Amino acid sequence: MSKAARQTIGRIFFWLLVIIIFFYLMFPFYWATVSALKAEPELIRTPATLWPQNPTLQNFRAVFNNQAFLRGLLNSAIVAGSTTLLSLLVGSFAGYALGKLRFRGKAISLYTILAMTMFPQIAILAGLYQVIRFLNIPTTLSLILSYLLFSLPFTAWVLTAFFKGLPSSLLQAAQVDGANMMQTFWQVLLPLTAPALVTTGLLAFIAAWNEYLFALTFTAFNRPAQTVPVAIAQFSGQIARQEPFGEIMAAAIVVTVPLIALVLIFQARIVDGLTAGAVKG
Amino acid sequence: MAQTQGQPVKVIRQRKEGTSALARAEERTALWLLAPTFLTLLVLAIYPLGQVFVQSFTDARFATAGHETSFVGFSNYRNLLSMTIRELPPRIDEETGQPIVQDGVTQFESPFRILPREPVRYGAVGQFGFGGRRYVLGATSPDFIRAIWDTLVVTVIGVSLQTILGMVIALTVATKFLGRGVMRAAMLVPWAIITVVSARIWEWMLEPDRKGLFNTVFSYLGLSDGFTNWTGNPSLQLPSLIAMEVWKTTPFMALLLLAGLSTISGELYEAAEIDGANKVRQFFSITLPLLMPTLAVALVFRTLDTLRIFDAFQVIFGEGRLSMASFAYFQLIGARNVGLSSAASVIIFFLLFGFAFLYIRILRVDTE
Repeated sequence: MSKAARQTIGRIFFWLLVIIIFFYLMFPFYWATVSALKAEPELIRTPATLWPQNPTLQNFRAVFNNQAFLRGLLNSAIVAGSTTLLSLLVGSFAGYALGKLRFRGKAISLYTILAMTMFPQIAILAGLYQVIRFLNIPTTLSLILSYLLFSLPFTAWVLTAFFKGLPSSLLQAAQVDGANMMQTFWQVLLPLTAPALVTTGLLAFIAAWNEYLFALTFTAFNRPAQTVPVAIAQFSGQIARQEPFGEIMAAAIVVTVPLIALVLIFQARIVDGLTAGAVKG
Repeated sequence: MAQTQGQPVKVIRQRKEGTSALARAEERTALWLLAPTFLTLLVLAIYPLGQVFVQSFTDARFATAGHETSFVGFSNYRNLLSMTIRELPPRIDEETGQPIVQDGVTQFESPFRILPREPVRYGAVGQFGFGGRRYVLGATSPDFIRAIWDTLVVTVIGVSLQTILGMVIALTVATKFLGRGVMRAAMLVPWAIITVVSARIWEWMLEPDRKGLFNTVFSYLGLSDGFTNWTGNPSLQLPSLIAMEVWKTTPFMALLLLAGLSTISGELYEAAEIDGANKVRQFFSITLPLLMPTLAVALVFRTLDTLRIFDAFQVIFGEGRLSMASFAYFQLIGARNVGLSSAASVIIFFLLFGFAFLYIRILRVDTE
């Protein structure tokens, strides 16, 4: 076989691989979208159709009339938003200390935080649940606080990497100008980490938006406080019948599209953030 | 905030003497800055973990009237982990006194009659044949033993598949081609979909009749009659779950590997090209060794994450099939059995710890 022929075959094989990978990654999402656009009779028709014959928005309308789902969206927005802000604030303090200041016990602090990112949430479920019930903390607040368990170590770890990357001459220049360490932090370093804060915040937000174990446990006896993953997991139709998969798929699209949009906008930075959090560890 | 801001200034004024005043101030500032993080972790992780540890030795129950909690020693652990292996004798026909053989297969006694019932009842976890004999594995908590086994199976098979697929995707996307940006974006889609949602999407694709995508496609291809009960048939449950889990998490693996690949210098490949090494050779002698540290970190993350799997199991199977985490969850919320749930959590904790330790040991061996 000539070299040119071999190259052509190689190229065909490569493009085939690209198409297969694209198809594999995107198909379930496509299927959810298509199913959400089908009306009930087409949804339960066998065999399933690959394309909606009579696309309809009725599933989406039903979802936006579903009070439990809307409340779930609001709860999730509050919980994930607050978790993100809190962990960015507290995490940037830790990131500054660990990334730029010298003190004894730094290595052990770093390792403790890294170990925390691998902490099994299930291991503290029973204990945390009882603490919350004993202190009578409202469900939404208890979710915000308990989500700090995984979002704080993550933000602290990633922000440490970013702070470390800032030139130390900035710190010294600020000190020469008479700024104390906190002024340096607030006025010089924090504005420079703004891009990192956005990325880290987004990742923390996605993780909190995604959380299910604590949400399911803490809202088990308080349905109005349910977050969106719990609402979708327990989605039921208006009328007692089979599971309303058309509406579930519509709900799935509604919670996913904004996240995908955010992820695509911040694509390059997310990759940086994820790798700073993982590979540099 | 005002307090933490004021603190270092005061420290500097108090300790003007000595050259290390600035260093001490720096140390004080650092400790103040770290305090909120460690306080939060202490309250959220260390204290509840201690609580769980203590309660795993009690018979604590949640919201049960007239129940006094008492110390029960290792009884929860014994209850969760007691196992026994018994041989199943062949079933004997009462008339002929010979073992019963149906369709050429020897019939064995039911495990129910063989496994001990006193002082505690054992249930069958599973049977296996060895050297022509048949054995049954019994446990006092067959559900928990099965949950550990299922979680390990999902972890080992799932993480292996994620690694292979993730590597293929990372290598593909690392190549320069038109539309690489689109592929990188597509890669983030499964990662961005929340786990509960992807579990429900897969649940819908796995419907037991031809409403479901898989059954429709398989019946078109003539591979099945279109009525495969993917999530209901016990032997198909784990493969279905692994398929979902691999789809959801492979992008994360691919992303990390992609980041690792980008750190490998292109000159190495040019040199290999000149030496006449083909692509396969290049992969095994350049890419793989240099990617090892990244791969190891990715493996630690994915393994620990899969060992604590909860969302997918709970959404797709409910109490029908359990992971370690969903066992602990149902013991706590369904059965209100705080003591037993805590003991299960402690076991899970140590299992994860063991895996992490093992990986770190292997890593260290690698870097030497």
